[in-house]
Amino acid sequence: MLKFRRKRVCQFCQQGVVYIDFKEEKKLLKFLTEQGKIIPRHTTGTCAKHQRQLAKAIKRARHLALIPFVADFTR
Amino acid sequence: MAIYETIFILDSLMPPKEIDASIERFSSIITSNGGKVRKVDKWGKRRLAYEIEKKQYGFYGSIEFEGEGNIPKELESEYNFNDKVLRYLTYRYDKRKLKAMQLEQKDAQEKKPVEPTVKKSATTEPVTKPHAAEEKPAQAPETEAPEKAEEKTPEAEQTNDEENK
Repeated sequence: MLKFRRKRVCQFCQQGVVYIDFKEEKKLLKFLTEQGKIIPRHTTGTCAKHQRQLAKAIKRARHLALIPFVADFTR
Repeated sequence: MAIYETIFILDSLMPPKEIDASIERFSSIITSNGGKVRKVDKWGKRRLAYEIEKKQYGFYGSIEFEGEGNIPKELESEYNFNDKVLRYLTYRYDKRKLKAMQLEQKDAQEKKPVEPTVKKSATTEPVTKPHAAEEKPAQAPETEAPEKAEEKTPEAEQTNDEENK
């Protein structure tokens, strides 16, 4: 099974992203759950460097109401 | 002198004249404290992701400025005093943002002289600069374009095959 497991690479490193902008909320939404939580990096494959930057960007975006703190989900 | 950016959300129900007036007031605070306004940007009226002060919409604006550390404090006191400001965020550009800005400037400079840079960017760095690669072929003279296309296609096919395997 190990052979078939694909090695996950950080998306930001692949694209050569220098700075993660908090104003592009559509890009940040990829790294949030439906509820609006930050997805841990072992599921997204983001490297530590970029995950730190990403977390900061998400928190800034939340403050400016670009991204919800908690997305209300219907029961 | 550091570069800062301040973003503020104003009440969208304000008349446009008052919005302009308040933006001018913020920029006058920056200039009176020895700062320099670099860019003023109005994002316009946008829907808020969550209600702030029972409001669904807000008018976003941003000012990019250069100055010392006392300016963010002065701005903050103005924002707190002004009831029409729903939210604000003032932050200093860190080294990564500055680096990204430098790269953008380089890209912009490379775009101006069309012919010499087209070849480099199109052939060597298609992955890292997707935007540049897309735009430049359109600007390039027609005579060069078909040759390049011919050169590229076999390589591209090969790489695709490898990936499929």
